[in-house]
Amino acid sequence: MTKAERREEQEKQRAAKAAVQPEGGSSGGKGGGQQQKKTPQPGTQAAESNAPRTPQVAHSSRGAPDASSVPTEKRANEPAGPPPVPTHSRLFPHLRLPKANILASASVAGTSKAEIHTSILRLALQFSSFKITGGNARCIATLTALKSVINSYTTPQGTTLSRHLMTYLSPQISHLVAARPMSASMGNAIRWLKYEVSVLSIDLPEQNAKDFLCERIDTYIRDRITVADRVIEDHAMEKIRDGDVVLTYARSSSVERVIKAAHEAKIQFSVVVVDSGPLFEGKSLIATLPPDLSVTYVLLPSLSPILPTVSLCLFGAHSLLANGALYSRAGTASVAMMARERNIPVLVCCETYKFSEKVWGDGVTHNELAPTTSASAPVPTVSLEHINLLYDLTPASYITAVITEVGLIPPSSVPTVLFRQGVTAAQGL
Amino acid sequence: MPADTIAIRDKPTLKQIETLVARLRRRQVIGAQETALETALLLRQIVSVARFNSIEQLTQLIKSIARRLIDANPKEFAVGNIVRRVLRLIREETAAALGPAEEPDNTSPFSVPNTPAFPNPPDLNSSRPQLRATNSLATFMIMGNQRVQPPNETRQSSRESTGLDHHGEDHFQGWDGEKKPLAITVKPLLIQAIQEVIDELETVYENVSKTARDHIYDGEIILTLSYSRTIEQFLKSAARDRHFTVIVAETAPSYSGRQMATALSSANIPTVLIPDSSIYPLMPRITKVILGAHAILANGGLFTQVGCALAAAAARAHSTPVVVCAGQYKLTPAWNLYHEYAALDFAGPEKVISFEEGGGGERRGAPLEVINPIYDYVKPELVDVLITNDGDHPPPYVYRLIKETYDDEDMQL
Repeated sequence: MTKAERREEQEKQRAAKAAVQPEGGSSGGKGGGQQQKKTPQPGTQAAESNAPRTPQVAHSSRGAPDASSVPTEKRANEPAGPPPVPTHSRLFPHLRLPKANILASASVAGTSKAEIHTSILRLALQFSSFKITGGNARCIATLTALKSVINSYTTPQGTTLSRHLMTYLSPQISHLVAARPMSASMGNAIRWLKYEVSVLSIDLPEQNAKDFLCERIDTYIRDRITVADRVIEDHAMEKIRDGDVVLTYARSSSVERVIKAAHEAKIQFSVVVVDSGPLFEGKSLIATLPPDLSVTYVLLPSLSPILPTVSLCLFGAHSLLANGALYSRAGTASVAMMARERNIPVLVCCETYKFSEKVWGDGVTHNELAPTTSASAPVPTVSLEHINLLYDLTPASYITAVITEVGLIPPSSVPTVLFRQGVTAAQGL
Repeated sequence: MPADTIAIRDKPTLKQIETLVARLRRRQVIGAQETALETALLLRQIVSVARFNSIEQLTQLIKSIARRLIDANPKEFAVGNIVRRVLRLIREETAAALGPAEEPDNTSPFSVPNTPAFPNPPDLNSSRPQLRATNSLATFMIMGNQRVQPPNETRQSSRESTGLDHHGEDHFQGWDGEKKPLAITVKPLLIQAIQEVIDELETVYENVSKTARDHIYDGEIILTLSYSRTIEQFLKSAARDRHFTVIVAETAPSYSGRQMATALSSANIPTVLIPDSSIYPLMPRITKVILGAHAILANGGLFTQVGCALAAAAARAHSTPVVVCAGQYKLTPAWNLYHEYAALDFAGPEKVISFEEGGGGERRGAPLEVINPIYDYVKPELVDVLITNDGDHPPPYVYRLIKETYDDEDMQL
């Protein structure tokens, strides 16, 4: 594809987006404006290729699995042009792409757009176009957005804030979930918020209650994410020694912090960044790493030749399940498997608020799809489909240790930490 | 060079050799099959124009040319393999033409040369002939070299019997009793033998796909990587009788999986294109992994397109069978025990990461190393079946296939 062709396609997509935006009304304009600003970035073009999807396809979130089960021959007989790009995989009908026109869908879900807060609308757009990715970033963004939702909330007559606020927040949260399934970090944070709202005293004046909740949210972000990351940094740095070659996969905010901190601590080590589609997040990682750090960039298939030089693997986490399995960016499991085969220690940096009580056995039951971003990839047809999984599940057996703010623990200790946290929460700490 | 010019006076042939050497060096001949075919065609030409007085001279000539071809692209094993194959055929054909009348002892298929390592019990042949006829393990060990030996011995004995004249020329007693130079007599036989190799190379895909339907059942989900014409033919041939889904990994950075996906889906085979990161999570659903090979090594290990080692390891983690489809000309008498960089061949960084993002060796002014190996090494224990145009084999048996296909003295060209 030539540059001119690509530009032409980009223009087309922009036009398609402009056609969608007026529907979003004044509230959508803000989100759209921010997007326009970001357009020159190389990564965004990829996300945009997802944009011009026919509304009719995206709306039928319930009907689409049926459509996908229609025999392919029957579809082929339909003369009406190329078949619409399915949002669901034929092989795995339960997996779906993030909604591209999430703004438009806000009006059909039975709730009027006016009820969805501006900050939530914007955030949903950023989620569905992969502008905000990563467990920590999504959680902080959600909590910040919810803070502004809470601030603009007024309790209706005849009810109290602690009883009514959640009914106001629920459609906002479901709008976010409609854009992209909730991350484990968001799930835990929202569950915590619900608890905080429910224990609010009925007698508390509205403004005080709102201030209190906002303060609690700030505390949560500080304690569970920011400070936790700093503690993880210290723990992980101890494991990096002079002469080490640290391998990491894609981009994790906590691993990035660890690498930077270790570099600032004058530890002489080099970094191998392994990367793969569909998101190629490693490219943004190498751009942010300190310039005097020696960095090697390889793609996932080229992993096995470089592994003998690696002395340590550091991964981030989307979530750590109760059985010790790591749910993280697709590709992590492959790297962990290959590293474990060579007896290279595999360390996972994971804040405890990402621990989940769920126990999953495989990586496909719960997963998400990413849009195909490359312009040179073949166009999906009746007999060709794309499946770009976003996550995979690394079995606990591939993980040497988990670095958390409560110290280095084996993956099997996740349920213990969860239980202890349950106890402290019940004690009102 | 002097050796060539002495034996080959045909200018076009000399030019043909130079052209192939240059094209190999410039990587203009791509793919093991094409390389093998070009090599075989060149060898046929050489044999037809070469002037030689003894088979020894011919083999030396071919070896010297082979060394130049291999030096031009040492990572392309097909050249050496085809040369070894042809050398063996040359010896066999000559032995067949000269041998039987003069070497009555060696005509029995189970006759064994007396080697110090495996002394032949003297009573074995005489007192217990029925035992000799069976393939016992004891004879199996000794049989290892029996196919190699006869040509050597015939050559020596033919020299003794026909007599070497002072110009060092071998003569062959023709059917009419006249003495003819060896070259004239055996040349047609040799060219015919090389032609058979060429025919085999041209039909290699059909022959590999012959048993495709026996390896795939209805409803399978098959994973394959990269692009391989062998695999494409194999799957298309299986699709005539079986309905299955193929999952193709893109195989970055070459993204040759896309070509494969397009080829398969255009043949109406349900195809799913996935990024390489989705191989592991989808593996529980995959029933078979089919890989191509660049070279099959003596221990049963493989040089493959990069990415196959990862897929094979993931398959092993899920106990999914791994099937390798390859032409017999990929059997290589080489080992890879120490090189993690597989065939030690690298491509440029431009396909891994764009120049602006760091492909130029810089990320925001700081150096960035980008590694883009071409081949992967897949260990033999990760492979379950080896499908060749010569039948299906288990990887631990490859060393036997190599012994049967090539002569020991050609292992080092």
